[in-house]
Amino acid sequence: MEMVAAARLRRAEQRIQAMRPYAEAIRRMARDVSEASEGSAARVHLLEQREPATKVGILLVTGDRGLAGAFNTQIVREGLRLKREYRSEGRTVTFSVVGRRGNSTMQFRGEDVAESYVGFTERPAFADARRISRDLTAAYTDGGLDRVDLVYNRYVSPLTQYVRRHTLLPLRESEVFGERAQGAETEPDAELADADRRASWIYEPEAEELLPMLFEEYADLSVYRALLESAASELGARMTAMRSASENAQEMIADLTLEMNRVRQAEITQEILEVVGGAEALG
Amino acid sequence: MPVGTGPIRASRTELALAEGRHKLEAQVMTPEREVFSGELIQLSTRTTLGEVGILARHVPMIARLVPTELRLHLEEGETQRYAQGEGWLEVFANRARVLVSEAIPPDALDARELRERLAEAERELAEAEEGGAAQEAAERETRRLQAFLEIAEKPTGPA
Repeated sequence: MEMVAAARLRRAEQRIQAMRPYAEAIRRMARDVSEASEGSAARVHLLEQREPATKVGILLVTGDRGLAGAFNTQIVREGLRLKREYRSEGRTVTFSVVGRRGNSTMQFRGEDVAESYVGFTERPAFADARRISRDLTAAYTDGGLDRVDLVYNRYVSPLTQYVRRHTLLPLRESEVFGERAQGAETEPDAELADADRRASWIYEPEAEELLPMLFEEYADLSVYRALLESAASELGARMTAMRSASENAQEMIADLTLEMNRVRQAEITQEILEVVGGAEALG
Repeated sequence: MPVGTGPIRASRTELALAEGRHKLEAQVMTPEREVFSGELIQLSTRTTLGEVGILARHVPMIARLVPTELRLHLEEGETQRYAQGEGWLEVFANRARVLVSEAIPPDALDARELRERLAEAERELAEAEEGGAAQEAAERETRRLQAFLEIAEKPTGPA
């Protein structure tokens, strides 16, 4: 089972890698279009900061299956902690939950879950992410939510995953635009072209119309990334859980063997003592 | 097919051919994988404003793509086709990038399944609240399925 998890984990890592050039291209376009549309970013709905943000949505990303150590429970725990924190500030909280495990735990604890998404956590497709993202952005745009947090396991290595809270909405401009791509991703003649860039570019439709769509795409990608990270973390956690289960079993076998020998030896010694004692009494 | 259908395009293609720099670099990506990377004569797709054909040395462009048939003309008479979802086209420095939610070869489409899903999407569209986010989502899904169904039902003739 550990081997199976390792092979799946490798594929999950590859999927995280595979989305990077796409996400980088979207960022680059968002930067270009934002500059061309001269400040119309301020009017993009998904960037709108609402104060006070009284209605908070939290998306908990868990797995469909267990046997993965603290992977699922730590997400639910963090979600409930956040809920208490937001409540104490006078805000309301709406949960959406990805994964069968998280959904059943929340149900067991009597928490209301607005939307459940299950059946894909080990291998999420972009379409799954987009469905979730569109539900959340629609609630944000319609005014049902003022803020949306994602809580998921961030993947570092097979041994290391940690719970990450990330504010999906409102989007932050600085996050979307990111650092200017360095090294390999820079176009060779980018600097030369930069000067007369905007003037000669064609935008279809107008830059002002493109911008909100690019931010929407960015939100989709953020959710997709969280799902992929969570999938890799789940597989990593399961692999680690399986390995420590095997190791624990090995250790337990060694301990018990020792214990068994000790008990047997004690019994033999006891019998010898009795025989010797008996012989002495006769003698 | 579309290469050289119009007089202006034909002359531009011929001119570019004569100059020996008639190709552009193209890349087709989805968030899940790279679908295509290589040199092309022409890339045909559809933006929110209508059909576009991108030839070598096209002016820089950023466009919103809508579901349609994406055609990559590799050589005269050699075309790769994909059913493309919503996405983006970025043209810069003789390189065209197509970033779409999905890019599926036409023979991987199942017309019957698409018809069923289209009927379902149309039902959802009819039931959706006027002006709401659900209505917009249903509209987009309907348009995507219509475009894909059209591609799936098209007889596969020579490119």
